[in-house]
Amino acid sequence: MESGLGLTIVVFLPLVSAIFIFLIPKKQEMLIKLVTLGSALLTFGVSLIVALQFDFYNAGDLQLGTKVSWISSINSNYEIGIDGISLPLLLLSTFISVLAIIYSFEHLPEPKNAKGMMSLILILETGMNGTFVALDLILFFVFFELVLLPMYFMIGIWGDKTVRSVSGLKNDIETRLYASIKFFVFTLFGSAFMLLGFLGLYFRGNRTFSIPELIELGSSGAFTGTFATLVFAVLFLGFAVKVPMWPLHTWLPDAHTAAPTVGSVLLAAILLKLGSYGFVRIALPILPEQAVAWAPAIAVLSAIGIIYGSLACLAQTDLKRLIAFSSVGHMGFVMLGISSLTSIGINAAMIGMVAHGIITGLLFFVSGSMAHTYHTRDMGRLGGNMKLLPKTGAILAFTAMASLGLPGLAGFWGEFMALLGAYNPLPGLNITIFRSSMVAGAIGTVLTAGYLLWMLQRVNLGEPKEEWLDKELHDADNYELVAWIPLVILTVLIGVFPKLIFGATNDAVIALVSKAFGG
Amino acid sequence: MAAITLDILLPRKFKFIIAMVSILGSLFAFLPIIFQFANYTTPEIMFEGSYVIDKFSLILKGLFILVTYLTFLLSVNFVESDEYYQGEYYFLLLSSLLGALVVTSSRDLLTMFIGIELASTPMFLLSGWKKGDQKSNEGSIKFFLLGVLSASLILYGFSLLYGVTGKLVFSDIANILIQQDLAQSPVALLSAILILAGIGFKISIVPFHSWAPDTYEGAPLPVTAYLSVSSKATGFVALIILMSKIFFESGDGLGIVLVFISGITMFVGNLSALQQTNPVRLLAYSSIAQAGFILAPIAVANITNNFEDGVYASVTYLIIYAFMNIGAFLVINLLQRNIDSENMYDWGGLAKETPLAGIFAVIFFFSLAGIPPLGGWFAKFVVFRSLLSTGEIFGLSLAIVGAINAVIGLVYYSRISKIIWMDSPKEDVQKTENSIIPSPLKVVGFVSLILTIVSGIFPGIFSNLGEASSIFFNS
Repeated sequence: MESGLGLTIVVFLPLVSAIFIFLIPKKQEMLIKLVTLGSALLTFGVSLIVALQFDFYNAGDLQLGTKVSWISSINSNYEIGIDGISLPLLLLSTFISVLAIIYSFEHLPEPKNAKGMMSLILILETGMNGTFVALDLILFFVFFELVLLPMYFMIGIWGDKTVRSVSGLKNDIETRLYASIKFFVFTLFGSAFMLLGFLGLYFRGNRTFSIPELIELGSSGAFTGTFATLVFAVLFLGFAVKVPMWPLHTWLPDAHTAAPTVGSVLLAAILLKLGSYGFVRIALPILPEQAVAWAPAIAVLSAIGIIYGSLACLAQTDLKRLIAFSSVGHMGFVMLGISSLTSIGINAAMIGMVAHGIITGLLFFVSGSMAHTYHTRDMGRLGGNMKLLPKTGAILAFTAMASLGLPGLAGFWGEFMALLGAYNPLPGLNITIFRSSMVAGAIGTVLTAGYLLWMLQRVNLGEPKEEWLDKELHDADNYELVAWIPLVILTVLIGVFPKLIFGATNDAVIALVSKAFGG
Repeated sequence: MAAITLDILLPRKFKFIIAMVSILGSLFAFLPIIFQFANYTTPEIMFEGSYVIDKFSLILKGLFILVTYLTFLLSVNFVESDEYYQGEYYFLLLSSLLGALVVTSSRDLLTMFIGIELASTPMFLLSGWKKGDQKSNEGSIKFFLLGVLSASLILYGFSLLYGVTGKLVFSDIANILIQQDLAQSPVALLSAILILAGIGFKISIVPFHSWAPDTYEGAPLPVTAYLSVSSKATGFVALIILMSKIFFESGDGLGIVLVFISGITMFVGNLSALQQTNPVRLLAYSSIAQAGFILAPIAVANITNNFEDGVYASVTYLIIYAFMNIGAFLVINLLQRNIDSENMYDWGGLAKETPLAGIFAVIFFFSLAGIPPLGGWFAKFVVFRSLLSTGEIFGLSLAIVGAINAVIGLVYYSRISKIIWMDSPKEDVQKTENSIIPSPLKVVGFVSLILTIVSGIFPGIFSNLGEASSIFFNS
């Protein structure tokens, strides 16, 4: 057994730095920011070293991990490791965290409080990285939940202060307060039941929480019958809320709209992936029979999500809300890929997750920055952005193109291959349902192109409205460009060389599929 | 032996001596417990089985002493700030502690009854300690009347047991009940129900909970903290001992009743807490809901007869709950020092002025809600684990009820953090001047904080205690 030192550093360095930051006086803001950035850079650096040590020829095996006793009385261990499925997501997480911190250097919404924000980002990073490397259900659960508190406070403290009325509440409420608690309650609802599912697996699976051991048991048919149906149902609930899948998605548009820019970026880029990663890492391999039984339902829900997300986008006037609904659609493609239970489909989901993380992350960066500049997100008032803010406008246009799945950019592969996977799902699955879902998905891509181009037309093109002409508007500054350009480059790189992702994921996905479904 | 005697006699010697001595005394009393625990080999049985010292009792004694110690620290400023009778205050708390310590070791009817009453009688006085305050008087009268009723119920239940079996020691009673095939007889069940009702008042489970919010609201804050932690734990300890030593053969009926009570307690506590604006009442209802969680494993254990898992879960929950709940009361104390209001919505934006209290609020209240990585998650987790361990339907249903309640709980537990961190300050609120946090309160805060966080990240430490107590308890 290896030491797992690298991964441990990647997971806990941010947390340790967060504690360290608590001890720095609030006034030394620059020191706080530099320590945070240093810690995030170091974490990213270590995750790169881990990636270099990673044996890509055996990407299907769990590597570089360790297993140390943690809670002996319930036989739960500190068991970590990565394979080709988790590696790209881990790198995405450490990378986006760095960019989010760079962006926050100069762009903190009221009330500034850099100390609070920086420590929250770092705690969040520990939760995200930890989820991607955890190989013990309880450890996974703790990290999975660890992201809730920081995100709750990020939305609640730095979020949108507009007052709105909510049906069912007597008094009007600030968007941030409503959105933050809704996010928290929805996710906790899912994960409370998910924990019961974990316990069910533990008692039927020789009292172990180890994911690899449970996968062995699962693929040899240890979990069957009503028990397995129930467990899959609660796992589905826990992960689907997080993804989020239609109809459990309603917290997402609120949370995204209300969250500060950095919050939206981290939420879209990483937090949503925790759910779909949970499906690939836990639900499918441990309960393969149930996965087959549930796959058509997941496919239909994903297809509905795609269509619903795009139609909702067409109805939005709020720029950030539009991007939030586009996330529902894009994650629908990811889940459609997963539901096909084939190596093509799951590979599509993997690259889809990474691409969505990069592209939607960037979209939220840009839209958040525009909302900050214009003090409005209402697309009816925006217009002529290309002329007012040429740099921001150019990046927005590029990202929208990437998001609609333009071939040659990263978004293309996830959508295209998910449709391919749905066309030809695992033998034995109901072909009619999957092909209909595929058609729905294909219609969805057209709609996606429709709303994104329409958005560009309303926001970027045309003549600027009169209200902006006499105002001094600041185009993207250096901090913003440093945070954005790497994402643009990555979008192109992954678009042109998808092997960057597939090189890691393919073997792992094939191993997973052949073990679980024999296909 | 000497250590035990010392441990029990020590607190009593400090009658009428000032606070410092009481505090140090309770801290010193902790030492024999540690020595005993370290040198532990076999249970020590005294007075022909009436009084037993095993790991279960040692761990809980340690818990009670530590909780009392923290309560003293919470009290120092309170008692000094008003001209109350200091000596009596500490003496009464110590007497109550002594009662709690006796209960953990008691293995016969008399000893246990004396322990329970010694633990709760001083609390009648203490809850009315704010003499001029109407609410305090009302609360303490309610508490007193119901407390006396509960004592008589327990006594009636005990006397039925004695009448049937002619024995005082629990193991003898259980043997006779089983030998004469009386374990499921109406008499045994009646006495079980009476005892359950009596103890139900102490642990404030539905339908015996109605005194709690009023008494909590009226009593001085440190006393409330002690009531909601130590008094409640005393009741639970008595219940655990009685259920597993006498009524383990009483059939499923009793267990099913307990399962329903546990589920309803969670719902009533949580749904009522949702509507509170007074923070102390909120915590009162929260502690009712938490009692439902603590009761759940014992209830299911009564059906499955698997007391090992049940006691393990309940004791672990009690230990973790004790510290986070004391922390929560500390937070209210700290915030009230800044804005003396009984409506928590007046505390808008207060965290900016006392960031330390703000951080305490986040840690303790979210720990009560059961959010990892704070200790509360593990407490809930072991409860779920013991509920699901047998896979039978009552455990499963109760686990689902528990999961739903965990979500309801989050809504109100998050409220105080929301108010002090996210709301803007209210303009018409009078602020007080004493915003400096006195050092005893800081000690309470940090001790509870460390225990809460450590128990969340390295739950092994606490769960080993819980496990040790359950295993040796059954030997």
